[in-house]
Amino acid sequence: MYINACSTISHQNSFQNENWINELVPLDIKSELITPDYKEFIAPAALRRMSKIIRMSLACSKDCIQQSGTETPDAIIVGTGLGCLADTEKFLNNTLTLTGLIPPTSFIQSTHNTIAGQISLELKNHNYNITHTQNSLSFEHALIDAILCLNEEDSNVLVGAADEAIPLLDELAKQFGLDEITHKLTSGASFFMLSNNKTEASKAQLVDSYTVGLNNSSPGDIIDDFLKRNGLTIGDIDNVLSNTFGTVSEFEIMDTFNATPVKPIDECSGYYFTNSAFGMHLGVEMLAQNSSKRILLYNTLNNSNIGLTLLQSLEA
Amino acid sequence: MSIYITGVGVISAIGLNVEENYQSLRNKKTGIEPINYFPSTKNILVGEVKLSSDDLIAQLNVTAPISRTSLLGLAAAKEAWEGNQHDASIRTGIISSTSVGGMDNSEQYYKQRLESDTPDISLITTHDSGTTTERIATALGISGYINTLSTACSSGANAIMLGARLIEQNRLDRVLVGGSDSFTNFTEEGFRSLMIYSDDWVKPFDENRNGLNLGEGGGFILLENEKSLNITNNKKLAALGGWANTADAYHQTASSPDGKGATLAISNALKIGNINPSEVSYVNAHGTGTPNNDLSESVALKNVFKEKVPPFSSTKSYTGHTLAASGAIEAVYSVLALQHNVIFPNLNYSTPITDTELVPEVNLNESHEVNVVLSNSFGFGGNNSTVIFKKA
Amino acid sequence: MENLKRELKEQIIERLNLEDVNVEDIADDMPLFGGGLGLDSIDALELIVLLENDYGIELTNPEEGKEIFQTVNSMSDFISRNRK
Repeated sequence: MYINACSTISHQNSFQNENWINELVPLDIKSELITPDYKEFIAPAALRRMSKIIRMSLACSKDCIQQSGTETPDAIIVGTGLGCLADTEKFLNNTLTLTGLIPPTSFIQSTHNTIAGQISLELKNHNYNITHTQNSLSFEHALIDAILCLNEEDSNVLVGAADEAIPLLDELAKQFGLDEITHKLTSGASFFMLSNNKTEASKAQLVDSYTVGLNNSSPGDIIDDFLKRNGLTIGDIDNVLSNTFGTVSEFEIMDTFNATPVKPIDECSGYYFTNSAFGMHLGVEMLAQNSSKRILLYNTLNNSNIGLTLLQSLEA
Repeated sequence: MSIYITGVGVISAIGLNVEENYQSLRNKKTGIEPINYFPSTKNILVGEVKLSSDDLIAQLNVTAPISRTSLLGLAAAKEAWEGNQHDASIRTGIISSTSVGGMDNSEQYYKQRLESDTPDISLITTHDSGTTTERIATALGISGYINTLSTACSSGANAIMLGARLIEQNRLDRVLVGGSDSFTNFTEEGFRSLMIYSDDWVKPFDENRNGLNLGEGGGFILLENEKSLNITNNKKLAALGGWANTADAYHQTASSPDGKGATLAISNALKIGNINPSEVSYVNAHGTGTPNNDLSESVALKNVFKEKVPPFSSTKSYTGHTLAASGAIEAVYSVLALQHNVIFPNLNYSTPITDTELVPEVNLNESHEVNVVLSNSFGFGGNNSTVIFKKA
Repeated sequence: MENLKRELKEQIIERLNLEDVNVEDIADDMPLFGGGLGLDSIDALELIVLLENDYGIELTNPEEGKEIFQTVNSMSDFISRNRK
């Protein structure tokens, strides 16, 4: 499976910037989401109602369409941990504070599948359209679904993930005692065009993705099994990208991966449920720039849920 | 590859288990009544599950805080899973679905937050949909592939479809699939703001229909492949016959007048299952009772089946619209129709829709063998799904 | 009447988030839906909320909106005849 387009909007200068992985900066408390001029991607009539999560997702999707030249993907698959929080909160507050009829727009835009639905509307696409929402594994589940599609009759699949932060999350994080720098809560979206066809646009290959929810065995064994099913061992992996956020100790990580270098993505992506999609884009660029041959994404944002995604270079 | 249904579970306004639901359907007994269990000062009609959350917590032996959505899902999942054992050689997963997750608790949290400086923070920890499913998985001791889909009112059907595809591609051997949603003020006000909440009893497929009644509930079915069956020796209740999901790509909330997405979903599901339209014995329609859905769905049925539309009915006239759960609850009803060779009546119908003139089944029909049942679920954002069930 | 029309235009712009539209851009007889201002059925529901909350006029059937919301003229006529 080839990755023929990647697009990310994040707190890094990642959107439509081929060199972004060389410009990564650790986030500080003041860093903000870096957004494009959305009017270049979305008609004003539609844009006026859209919250951040939908704007990011549509811009990334359209960017993927342009990069890959695939106008009509055979499936549109989205993962989101918390969905359209801003509109959900807005409508919820309205139900509690307004009397009489309540404006419907924020209700319409509150459902998780607004993102995938809006993409299908914008693209006039009638194909498979789905939304996965399994907290920290939402992106991996979307990816696994995309792999199923490509093994069926589909040739091109648009898959991505997005989450948006709202002020309430910061408030809650504080009450749960999370550090506002090491656990900086951010928004982000990353989309990809996956294909069975290698084209001039192809950047890397997706080999497999796998999840274990409510894990009760050793992560090392799960990783070994996953690699074994793909005919590999940990020695075949050049780099591991991980989003541990301190849920797993450095010692455990070293113990699991032995000599393989582990690069944390936390300080660059910030904390959101689908930041492993940011990691996948980062990994694809690393492979495209020939700095490695095989990369394993190790998602332990929530340490009882494990996500594994294996990428390799076009040559591998 | 054949995929079998070996367990069913349901909780809804018309019963706390499969048998109670079946008897209500046979006896034309609706569960839609003036609101009673949910704390509300409104005088509205809702298909409530006739048990408080506290009673559900006690019966299911779980600890609060837990969302009602989790409780309803667990009640149904437990019934479908009943008697099954964990076995390391059977790769087992669970896929649930919900539209609002733990919203019943979240709206309490937001209410407290407006009224006081110290809202109960534990109430918001059940908000996300993934956690809703994890609570169900934990109670059943399932770990591994645990996933949640959220495509509004088609979610339950999509969970069944995803489970089937994971088995077909040899990623799982056995998977519990379904969905749940609880009644919330949020959804009631939402449908009211769209002016499609009826203050009369819902009248699916009637010319004078004027909107939906919300319901709540959970539905689950257990899917197994041959390998799993060889170990579990479970009885085959039915088999999956086909599935499809398409996008209408017409409007954020409304269905297209030409029924494009729905037509594609129905015809693609028949195609994947290699089933001829004439083989369909019964259509369990989406039939929400909104002017828009029932017209669009009727047009789609005529597009696919031409002059020979099979007997059809909407069981939402019993349960109300249970949102993400509806596709899963109606999957259980479809299996019941196959098991008992029965077609369930559509309540509150009197006049055909002028444009399509389709007449739903209004009496309990036991006169035909039921071999293939097609179930539709259509959601917001033009998300259209069809699942087909057949005799094992 | 002119005041009501101006007020309506301001409300339409604000409630429907018409960021790039000014009061001057909306002519009294400009079709609000389809061509003209380009509003859609979700906007129609928002306008029903506006009628109820700001002018105390309750519509029970969204279909009624089609006539009323044709132009700012038709809206202001309807409001001045029915407002409480």
